[in-house]
Amino acid sequence: MNRAIRHDLPIHFLLIILGIVTFYPFVFTFLTSFKSSYQISHNFWGLPWPFQPSNYRDAWKGISPYLLNSLIVTGGSVIGVLFVASLAAFVFARFTFPGREFLFLAIISLMMMPSILLLVPQFLLIKHLRLLNTRWALILPYIAGGQVFGIFVLRSFMASIPGELFDAGAMDGLSTFQSYRHIAVPMSVPILSTIAIMNILGTWNDYVWPLVTISKNQLWTISVGVMSFSMSTSSFETRGVMFAGYVIASLPLIILFFFTMKSFVKGISSGALKV
Amino acid sequence: MSSSLAEFPPLIKKDSVWRRIFRSRECYLLLVPTFLLLGIFNYYPAVSAIYHSFFSWNGANVQVFNGFQNFIDLFTDQDFLVSIVNVCKITVISILISISFPILAALLIYRLKADQAGYFYKVVYVIPMVVPTIVIFLIWKFIYSPMDGLLNTMLAAAGLKVFIHTWLGEYNTALYSILFINFPWVSGFQTLIFLAGLQNISISVIEAAILDGTGPVARFLKIELPLISAQIKLVVILAIINSVQGFVNILIMTNGGPGKSTMVPGLYLYRNAMQYGKMGYACAIGTFLFVVILTLTYLNLKYMKSNNDSMGA
Repeated sequence: MNRAIRHDLPIHFLLIILGIVTFYPFVFTFLTSFKSSYQISHNFWGLPWPFQPSNYRDAWKGISPYLLNSLIVTGGSVIGVLFVASLAAFVFARFTFPGREFLFLAIISLMMMPSILLLVPQFLLIKHLRLLNTRWALILPYIAGGQVFGIFVLRSFMASIPGELFDAGAMDGLSTFQSYRHIAVPMSVPILSTIAIMNILGTWNDYVWPLVTISKNQLWTISVGVMSFSMSTSSFETRGVMFAGYVIASLPLIILFFFTMKSFVKGISSGALKV
Repeated sequence: MSSSLAEFPPLIKKDSVWRRIFRSRECYLLLVPTFLLLGIFNYYPAVSAIYHSFFSWNGANVQVFNGFQNFIDLFTDQDFLVSIVNVCKITVISILISISFPILAALLIYRLKADQAGYFYKVVYVIPMVVPTIVIFLIWKFIYSPMDGLLNTMLAAAGLKVFIHTWLGEYNTALYSILFINFPWVSGFQTLIFLAGLQNISISVIEAAILDGTGPVARFLKIELPLISAQIKLVVILAIINSVQGFVNILIMTNGGPGKSTMVPGLYLYRNAMQYGKMGYACAIGTFLFVVILTLTYLNLKYMKSNNDSMGA
């Protein structure tokens, strides 16, 4: 055994124990999602055999409409955030104009504004705009709030793009919007994907805002939907279906994670800065 | 004025502000979507919240100015005072949670000699974070369920029946059970932030320490820990902000019960607004929490020692 491996061995041991404790609830959820209620009561700890695929069929019926709603809301807000934030960041990074620093500060200061302060007036505003029980009640505030941190990160990134690129673009007769579209945006793709993932996580997990603005269950997002699903399947006979629902609710983000691992890890660490 | 044009000598030496504003009209135009959205959904509600915390307001027809009465009422409101005590406990424990185990996990990963193994753990520890927060709470609700929950079944199987509790239903255990969720708390952004901080330490510092014969524990306490103080500061601030305003975990696990034993200000605000229709009172709670968060963040930035002022992760 070489020295490095011998040095690492006790560390691996500790890390694996931490990992097992962390993962056990999820593994248990996954295994139980394949069990019938009889199997759950007689084989609580063991592997599910035979499988109960019907759990997934039943759970899919309950969960899939909420998944679709979340996809629409999350997709809509992320596209909105990326567009609005990159446009503003581009202006702040590439141009000097009267009031630039003041306006930028006015945006950044919102990062210190806790969301709990805004809850009541935002709710009443949405109510007065007659947007309750529409997807706009979610998408518009998500874009408004989500862009703040995006602008903050994107501005410094875009400022670091070499100015020669934009000069060359200007020589070729690119308009301001064209140089945004053809130079600034393509150069910022890595940071844009980090911002996208950060916002996807935020909107996908949000619970309180959809709870107060959407009362029609056809429009519920996954957070609110899975909560009500869990109540309707909490009786012992449908326990397996409940766990299958939890697995289905988690699938979209897990799939996204496996395709975008690097941006994902980055998005989570920088997302921490967003309050 | 475009930055590329700025390199050419200006034709007119002194421009009036109005002229410069007029020439930058395209910039302002491109900022319209941003400020339109922020104006409607952020600035206006923020001002409205602070303004209405001085009113008795039901959100519609009743709106009477009552000065500081809402704040006076708050500090004589038994439910609110209980929630303050709870949120203090939550904040202190959350700070301990978010710096203890995550630092341990980050340090272990950092100390691995094999780099690929380090990357492997980093990615694996991230995976649970993609499970929706609500699903995690619901899974833990099952873990704590009194009759057939994972924890009590486990205790019974291990012959530890004396330790069986109605975890979320007893006064003494409810709050701590909620804080225990996600044990051992290593799957979080905190671990990633600490790991990034450790990996930023220059190799020469560590090598010098090893040459001096510094042992692994002393190396951590004397070198690595002080060099990640900026990250610790950041994580502490975020733990404070999240604990002071957060209530989704409480709403889902116990809804403030049993009795008021897990009531927190955020949940109390939510109830006052959504169930009792006391919007002015709810705004006063929000304003109070806002001031508390600002003050604590300021004190933290000012008085907590850190090796550099960069907040970067």
